[in-house]
Amino acid sequence: MGSLISQIATVTVMNIRSLPRRLWMSLAMVLASAVVVAILLAFLAMAKGFETTMSSAGSDRVAMLMREGAAAELNSVVTRDQVNLVEDLPGIASDKDGPVVSPELYVIVDGIKKSTGTEANIPLRGLDSRGMALRGNVQLTRGRSFTPGTNELIVGEGVLREFDGFDVGSEVRFGKNTWRVVGAFSTGGNVFESELWADAKVIQSHYNRGSSFQTIRVQLQKPGDLQPLQQGIDADPRLNLDVQTEKAYFTSQGKQLQYMAIFGRVISFIMALGALAGALNTMYTSVADRAREIATLRALGFSNFSAFCGTIAEALVLAIAGGLLGSAAAFLFFDGLNASTLGGSFTQVVFRFEMSPELFVQGAMLALVIGFVSGFFPAWRAARLPVIVAFRQTT
Amino acid sequence: MSEEVLFQLKGVSKSFVKGKEEISIFDDLDMTINRGEFLAIMGPSGSGKTTLLNMLGGVDQPTGGEIWFNGERIDRFKESQLTRWRAHNIGFIFQFYNLMPMLNAARNVELPLLLTNLSKAQRRANVETALTLVGLNDRAKHMPSEMSGGQQQRVAIARAIVSDPQLILCDEPTGDLDRKTADEILEMLQLLNQDHGKTIVMVTHDPAAASYAKKTVHLDKGKFVQREVAA
Amino acid sequence: MNDLYLIYKNMTRKPLRLFLTCFAIFIAFLIYGAVTTLKSAMDSGIDLAADNRLMVVNRINFTVPLPIAYFRKVAAMDGVKNVTHANWFGGYYQDPKKQLVVMAVDPESYLRVYPEVVVDPQQKQAWLRDRQGMLVGEKLAKLYGWKIGDKIPVSSNIFSHKDGGHTWDFVIDGIFTGNTEQYDTGYMVFHYKYFQETQTFGGDNIGWLVLTTEDPSLNEQVAKKIDETFANSAFETDTSTEKAFSKAFIEQVGNIGLIIFGVVFMAFFTILVVVGNTMALAVRERTGEIAVLKTLGFSSPRIFKMVLGESLLIALIGGLAGLGAAHLLIEGAKAAMAQFLPNLVMGGDIVAQAVGFMLLLGLVTGLLPAFNALRLNIVTAFNRGGA
Repeated sequence: MGSLISQIATVTVMNIRSLPRRLWMSLAMVLASAVVVAILLAFLAMAKGFETTMSSAGSDRVAMLMREGAAAELNSVVTRDQVNLVEDLPGIASDKDGPVVSPELYVIVDGIKKSTGTEANIPLRGLDSRGMALRGNVQLTRGRSFTPGTNELIVGEGVLREFDGFDVGSEVRFGKNTWRVVGAFSTGGNVFESELWADAKVIQSHYNRGSSFQTIRVQLQKPGDLQPLQQGIDADPRLNLDVQTEKAYFTSQGKQLQYMAIFGRVISFIMALGALAGALNTMYTSVADRAREIATLRALGFSNFSAFCGTIAEALVLAIAGGLLGSAAAFLFFDGLNASTLGGSFTQVVFRFEMSPELFVQGAMLALVIGFVSGFFPAWRAARLPVIVAFRQTT
Repeated sequence: MSEEVLFQLKGVSKSFVKGKEEISIFDDLDMTINRGEFLAIMGPSGSGKTTLLNMLGGVDQPTGGEIWFNGERIDRFKESQLTRWRAHNIGFIFQFYNLMPMLNAARNVELPLLLTNLSKAQRRANVETALTLVGLNDRAKHMPSEMSGGQQQRVAIARAIVSDPQLILCDEPTGDLDRKTADEILEMLQLLNQDHGKTIVMVTHDPAAASYAKKTVHLDKGKFVQREVAA
Repeated sequence: MNDLYLIYKNMTRKPLRLFLTCFAIFIAFLIYGAVTTLKSAMDSGIDLAADNRLMVVNRINFTVPLPIAYFRKVAAMDGVKNVTHANWFGGYYQDPKKQLVVMAVDPESYLRVYPEVVVDPQQKQAWLRDRQGMLVGEKLAKLYGWKIGDKIPVSSNIFSHKDGGHTWDFVIDGIFTGNTEQYDTGYMVFHYKYFQETQTFGGDNIGWLVLTTEDPSLNEQVAKKIDETFANSAFETDTSTEKAFSKAFIEQVGNIGLIIFGVVFMAFFTILVVVGNTMALAVRERTGEIAVLKTLGFSSPRIFKMVLGESLLIALIGGLAGLGAAHLLIEGAKAAMAQFLPNLVMGGDIVAQAVGFMLLLGLVTGLLPAFNALRLNIVTAFNRGGA
């Protein structure tokens, strides 16, 4: 057995040493593997980043109430009376100021995108200090919060990254109203960072909303438990509201991008097939190139298993090199890349591509699979090469 | 047969530069080959016999001197002229047959006819004649990989004669074959020379092969060392 | 036998390699064809916009409404030929996931502003007279199998009906077609008056105005006039050409589209590089054979053409098959995607571009080996080959 291992080692070392001699062939194999890994990682990083943005936005502790049938915040309307009725419903957590209920407004304004210089939709959310408290993770990163009753607003970090003209201290104009940006906030990278926040009452008056709101968020006594709330709503015909956890809402809003991620996966899978064909081809050619060399070794007494292992090892080395190259390229180009797209309610969602360690593990595994698949069949051929080839003329 | 001159080499030299050294293969070589001759060129490895054959075939060109073929000076030809000249006048037979592996025997033989204006029917007739001559008509559809070395070499001979060239150049035509097969091939060359009037120049280091030729010359270090006429 | 036969034999001598090469090229062009078609479908709204049509939306954002009074005011302005208004209904049919493009419009002026909408005069009259009537695009009608006279319930995810619920009943009075094939008929329109009378809120608001100018040269002047007129009012306007509006809307999909296309094209070219490299190197194995052909008297240009012809042929076989498959794929997906991407058609320009890339691939991969074959010295070739 010892001799078999040393045989394999000898053949492997020989094959790998001869790689530079087959420079272009080797590079093609590396490139094929690199492109598959890079594409996969790019799409995974996109999906991952979007997932982080959407999923961390929705909390299980928070329930969202919207008018029946309104699929998105933008479409919903709730009246002041309904807000008052909701405050008395069961199942809502309370603090020292009473039940934690946040009636909110949601309008869309235009901003200029840095990347294209064109107008794009940004949500402007009207809320009060209770609404901010309800979103446990709000942190002011610059400036201060808006003063209720004034034309002041604070801007999400995502908006700052993707749009022009929202720096703290500057003035922005929506319609005939001028707003002052007094602070910037972070919510841990989730979708709320793609928003502008201002006092709900000010927005009511500027946008002719009277005393109405669009959504009500409440903090649940028991996370995820909508039962008592739902029963209360069903019992009162004046409350024609749908209730769902905020998490469920954002998950449904993220559907579109999930389609994009699926699309990306399908494309990268098909592309991977193409690249795999290229890699297989390269390995076959490489074996054909060395047919004589392999046969000579066999004639000297090396086993066909060692010829097989040597070829597999060569493919693996090249594929892993490609995997590293692809991962590095994906990391360089995509990690932290800011992206934005149209979210559920016609507004821009800003998110970052995220390249996490487990993605690299996936990339490495893919590289190994490519190496194995593209090495196996040619290696099989190498192992079955008749010894007589060594004594024949070049083919 | 009248002593008509086919090839004439006048003061031919050939040298090439390797590293800083200039290596001379021939210097001032004179040679005459008559029409209808069967000439064997013998010599040890590195004596320049293959280079000489290549120059006769217009594949390699001399660095000095003149090569005349049928009253034409071919060493001054441009590459395209040489190519055309080869197609019309020369048939080649190599040590390792050099058949196209993806073509069957008949197609391999037909290959040089692609360079002519013959009609399809004429081509087919020529191929059949050539294959019959080498005794392989029943193997027309076989691939090179399905034939023995001797059969492959006979296909190569058929390919060399199919366009009816005046001169056949052979580079160690039996070098890869066993004695019995080699004798068959050599008899076939003899037949082509005697019955079909082909001029044949054959490079070999095998005296037994050379014995089939009408005339043998010995080349050593770029010089003819002695001339002898076969019995 | 001729040169083409030799090319064919050369190509097919290693069927597995030929298959793998063609397959990789096939995949590359399949993706290329499908993705470029998708991209051009997304951009097509811009190309179809009429030159003299302007959109007037609320300055804050196009989702913020305007007062109905603007309709008369704009209609009275110089240079304005026709003007109409529309409201987004947020419609769906039975299932909230089956969203429909439904708008409440001013019927007569709508048909004047959109001459693309072609409707039988009798159906048109019926619709104009019937307040509860709906005019449905041919594509939408086909999708759901609706016929004239059908009574269909359409729900809104924005508005509530006065009588409770979110569902309105409509009667299909007419089915319209487009004046060109490209015009998207995947939507439906109904009377604004009916909408206004039956919904619970929203008052006298309209979503946006669409107008045509007397002449495209007046566009800028008219747009400026409108925006100036309403400046400093509670509802400021933003007027732009239909083209600019569509473009801005598409760009909202964001750089994510750009990133995906970027990645796909990168992959496309890398696959071509990998395949091209193998194709180019494959010819190297045939050095000896090329030398034999040359010795036999085949001229260098002739061999050059044969080598180049082979790689062009492989590129075209794989590429055209891939493009064909992309075409089938798109035809298959057309129905499912019709709602989002009405113009999913592989245009001649896409095909031409793809064929251009195939030729380029064939040339680039063929040229180097062909050139090497051209320059090949028979003597050195044989020395290398050991003969």
